[in-house]
Amino acid sequence: MFNKLRIGKKGENIIFSVFVLIYIAWCVNSPDMNIESLKSVLTIGLSVGIIYGLVALGISLIYTGLDVVNFSHGEFFMIGAFAGLTMFNVLGDQDWIFNVFPDAYGWIIYVVCLFTAFVSMGLFGVFIERVFLRPLTKKGGGYTVAGMGIIICGFGLSVVLINVAYLIWNPVAKPFPAELGLPMEIGGLFLPITYIWMIIVGLGVAAGLWFFLNKTKMGLGIRAVAFSKDVSNLVGINVPLYISIIFGIACAIAGIGGTLVGPTYQVVVFMGYIILMKAFAAAVVGGFGNLPGAILGGFTVGLFETASSFYISGSHKDLYAFLLMIVVLMIKPTGFFGTQVKMKA
Amino acid sequence: MLKIDQLVSGYGTVQILNGANMKVDDQSIVALLGGNGTGKSTILKATSGLIRAWKGSIEFDGEQIHNLPPHEIVGRGLVQVTQGKDVFPAMSVIENLRLGGFILKTKKQLNDNLEKVFNYFPRLNERKDQLAATLSGGELQMLCIGRGLMSNPKMIMLDEPSAALAPQIVLDIFKNINRIRKDGLTVLIVEQNVRMALLLADYGYVIKDGVINVEGDSKKLMYDESVKESYLGGTKANVQ
Repeated sequence: MFNKLRIGKKGENIIFSVFVLIYIAWCVNSPDMNIESLKSVLTIGLSVGIIYGLVALGISLIYTGLDVVNFSHGEFFMIGAFAGLTMFNVLGDQDWIFNVFPDAYGWIIYVVCLFTAFVSMGLFGVFIERVFLRPLTKKGGGYTVAGMGIIICGFGLSVVLINVAYLIWNPVAKPFPAELGLPMEIGGLFLPITYIWMIIVGLGVAAGLWFFLNKTKMGLGIRAVAFSKDVSNLVGINVPLYISIIFGIACAIAGIGGTLVGPTYQVVVFMGYIILMKAFAAAVVGGFGNLPGAILGGFTVGLFETASSFYISGSHKDLYAFLLMIVVLMIKPTGFFGTQVKMKA
Repeated sequence: MLKIDQLVSGYGTVQILNGANMKVDDQSIVALLGGNGTGKSTILKATSGLIRAWKGSIEFDGEQIHNLPPHEIVGRGLVQVTQGKDVFPAMSVIENLRLGGFILKTKKQLNDNLEKVFNYFPRLNERKDQLAATLSGGELQMLCIGRGLMSNPKMIMLDEPSAALAPQIVLDIFKNINRIRKDGLTVLIVEQNVRMALLLADYGYVIKDGVINVEGDSKKLMYDESVKESYLGGTKANVQ
């Protein structure tokens, strides 16, 4: 999972660099290009990118752990946002928090919301995995017929979750008015402070996951299960339990992503779908199944999308992520970080 | 220590084992021999819980284990050592070994066992920070056996420890297997290298078409005509 950077075939890299240079030249030529707009592109691009990265992280984690692509992951993101919002509304009515912490009032509530989203989505993910996916994974996941079943089940689950959320929270877009202080001025634009908050928390979550996977015993077990279930069984790891944990962690991270996005945009029932697609693009760009690659891919997609909509055309914002994905797939099919450690035959 | 009784098992709907019987005594080395596709590995997989036993029973240390999930079987002290290619290539040698001791509770036990394994295979100590993917074939096999020993097992089952290795390294590994037995473990060894396996083992089973065909003391098996014919390169070619 956490491997070294793969230096791909020379040709791949050269062609890719040429594309990057052409793109940069195009952006620089744009009439809107100046240091001020560049600052806002960087802020927005990185903050949106880390959200794509977090969801892509979950997709990659599930892909390595269960050998399937989870097409309902966007819905966990959406429900996570609603979980955070619900907690926010509950805490918003509590006057005592305001009385005890008059200064850091908004921050404390927001951190509790993030935590709620993390924990509740983790538990919800474990529940979904145990109840709905376990009967399918029992018959064999991955590239078997049952594995195909899980993918289709993911689409179905996505529809079901959207409709359940529709029934509970109705389709009206809801504001998430977290009080995190005044907007800051970056490059002539007044941006909510949540943009910076998104980058910090997102990177913190990614770093926490890295620490968890590389420095703890449970993380070691997760990496083992992700590589081979049979061998993990033979060293005494409770594989079904660990698969649940992997799914739960992936969903918890998506839930945090939802709550992070909430205050900047709005919370809608349909927000999961487009995020899923962008995160999918991010995962492909970074190298499918590779975790640092997922975060890096998220940043790349976020920056590319924001820069393109600033400097090229703002009316096709959602197109750019997929354009980038297609270009990367054509030139570097393994993404930035491919698998490089192969076993000798 | 291990008693397999009328074991029937297989993959999916394909039945491989048709009622195999085996017994492994305490602190002995038992060899399980047979050609390709006769069910040697299937017996190991059924014993370590990777596949279910359809019928029959498997008894380890006086307890029925054929209904347990694999990690509980490891917890009871029965560990299967896979072939050398089944390590975690993207992890370092020491991480692979730490995974072997996954069921251990304390850090002290882990370190004690690490020392024990490095004592058997000093080569692993030299390479402990390398990625497992960079090891040679013999070192990979040592790593696999070492990983199996990390969990303080009572019995280990080796799946073709000599596969695709140079004779000198095979000799070295077999010497270590003998040492492991002398230190109080029971060993079941599945081999295609029949001569070596019978030299090492006390008792041997020959499996054919999913049932035990011939069994006996390894000395006796060495000179058994049918075994000779089939596996030791007698006058006739392999008659299956």
